[in-house]
Amino acid sequence: MIWKIALRNIFKNARRSVTTALAIGIGGLAALLFGGFVTSIWYGVQTSMIQEQGNLQVYRNGYLEFGAANPDAYTIKDWDKVAALLAADPMLAENIAVITPRIDLAGVAGNAETGNSKTFIGTGIVPAEIDAMRGWDGWNIGQVAPVTGLAAGGQESVIVGLGMARLMGMCEALSVPNCQDAPVDASTLVVEEQDFTSLVGTEAGLADQGNGTEKPQLNVMAATSAGVPNIARVGIESAQAQAVRAIDNSFIMMHFEQARGLLYGDSQEATALMLQVADPAQVDAVKARVDAVMTEAGLDLSVYHFTEVDPTFDRIFGMFTFMFIVVSIVLSIVIVFTIVNTISMTIVERVKEIGTIRALGFRKGFVRALFLTESTMIGLIGALIALGSAILLSNVINAAGLQWTPPSNATPLTVQLMVLDNPTFAIGVVGTLVALSFLASVWPTFKAARLNIVESLQRA
Amino acid sequence: MNQAYNPQSFQYDIAQNPGARPARDVAVSFKGLSKTYKMDRVEVPALKGVSGSIAKAATTFITGPSGSGKSTLLNLLGLLDRPTDGEMEILGEDVTKLTDKQAADFRAQHIGFVFQSFNLIPVLSLRENVEFPLLNRKMSWASRKTRALEYLEAVGLGDFVDRRPGEISGGQRQRVAIARALVSEPTLLIADEPTANLDTKTSREIVALMDRIKVELNTSVVICTHDTDLITPGSAIINIVDGQTAGEY
Repeated sequence: MIWKIALRNIFKNARRSVTTALAIGIGGLAALLFGGFVTSIWYGVQTSMIQEQGNLQVYRNGYLEFGAANPDAYTIKDWDKVAALLAADPMLAENIAVITPRIDLAGVAGNAETGNSKTFIGTGIVPAEIDAMRGWDGWNIGQVAPVTGLAAGGQESVIVGLGMARLMGMCEALSVPNCQDAPVDASTLVVEEQDFTSLVGTEAGLADQGNGTEKPQLNVMAATSAGVPNIARVGIESAQAQAVRAIDNSFIMMHFEQARGLLYGDSQEATALMLQVADPAQVDAVKARVDAVMTEAGLDLSVYHFTEVDPTFDRIFGMFTFMFIVVSIVLSIVIVFTIVNTISMTIVERVKEIGTIRALGFRKGFVRALFLTESTMIGLIGALIALGSAILLSNVINAAGLQWTPPSNATPLTVQLMVLDNPTFAIGVVGTLVALSFLASVWPTFKAARLNIVESLQRA
Repeated sequence: MNQAYNPQSFQYDIAQNPGARPARDVAVSFKGLSKTYKMDRVEVPALKGVSGSIAKAATTFITGPSGSGKSTLLNLLGLLDRPTDGEMEILGEDVTKLTDKQAADFRAQHIGFVFQSFNLIPVLSLRENVEFPLLNRKMSWASRKTRALEYLEAVGLGDFVDRRPGEISGGQRQRVAIARALVSEPTLLIADEPTANLDTKTSREIVALMDRIKVELNTSVVICTHDTDLITPGSAIINIVDGQTAGEY
């Protein structure tokens, strides 16, 4: 009977009920869409980063804390044996899709044609393996990154940041759109090709790499592990924008062997091993197993989740989560006030009915239940409006193919509002709306139940 | 019975009401009932030590001019309000010290109400309105429905069970209100100016209906009215003037 009275009163005051339900619905819609966007960030940005870095990374102990000051002291020696050791473990072999080494390096790059030179931050990778990693889509969200473009070139080919290309005066040579070469002062231009060979020590043989290519060329110089400058001539395959301007202005991606040759010569050293786990649900188990295998082997290495190495994802997700919380709080306040107002008005109109019900021998709890049921039902209707409209609108927006570029990316991601992809969240929003409706009416209904019966009956 | 009503000098000829105050069992007895309301900081006495009794299975009229305190007395008898002072027993139970919950339960079990403006729940059908008090009883839905229909039949509204209160006349609404008050078969039926919003003919029909059902259900009926024309032969009368008992017949 309570449900019947509540439902009929909702329909009796249709305009007010609809207004309240719509307020709840629109608030819920905003929360669901924004939540769907945050969910897509969770999946999309993680996928992006896993495609670049793998889910797990192995470093020499102490690298993350002290490696920046002295990277050569914290390299993984015999990385190939470590990779083989991990690949030999049945559990890891079953779960790890890619194990690939990476070398982080820094040095000076110069363009002999223009005389421009500047410091660079480089990474040495195995292009075919990175390209394989970029095809990872562990959560099946349909997000695949383009290949590096480095595999097609020879060992001497590199990819530079767009800013780097501009600063090196290579926009035109690389046919980079919307890129203007830095102006060159002809009077100061060194016509002769810069010769770094005098700087090269024992690894002098490396200096002639890259000769003979028709691609725009750069000379890259880095210090070997022995502290001796080493140089290589590389051909630029293409220029690609990087996410952060400072990195874009100094980025060079090269073949792993090229980087290894520059820094370590024949020594099988790497900065890190990147492990890509096929099933993201298995990451923790794989991490534990990698840790166990390396400990058993007595290796001075540690394995980290990619978010431990690079806090970008946590920061991006944290920022949007915080925004979601703030928006949700604002929406909740609006919803609560709307419901309090609606239920208070309903109570004022039905004071006599409350008096009658109490006179008929019903306890205060019955009166509370009556109005709480009504507000909960309005909340449920509003929540269903929110869910239905969120599903509809998210499909429209997803179909529109809108794009956005997260701070961690250089290339945009397609906006996918994942409203139903996280059922716990969707149910949570619906539940929260209903709970808010219930809680918001507690105070007015308690007031209603406490009304003096005689005074209530005397109300016109 | 059609005597002129003079609130200042209310006199009721006992000779016209020969059946009044027969020796019967007492349903309600009250002694020295007082009720003082506080309006801002001013204390306004509404009842000043009223005493009397309500006989079992009889009709008692509480009469008096407007503002005399008869509604206040009715509210106390119906446990809708608490006396400031005095004693009251209903069915032998001291009801002045009941908690709020106990008072609610007592009303649900023993007291039925008929209000001046019917006070039906507008969103419920007539059957559902009559069925409503039975939600306080441990009864199946089918039993509740059957009993509600029986009482609607008893008040002559068996053909209107699915209508809403807004779809019937004032007299019919009051019949529904009577059915609702009686459906839980109370010991005490309290009616506060039940005919105030009805025409003379309908008023008489309503009082006659309550009189008839009182006999059938062995219920004590207390009717508060300022219309002495409604007083039926054999009924008891408590006359209240200025918050005090001016006469008990």
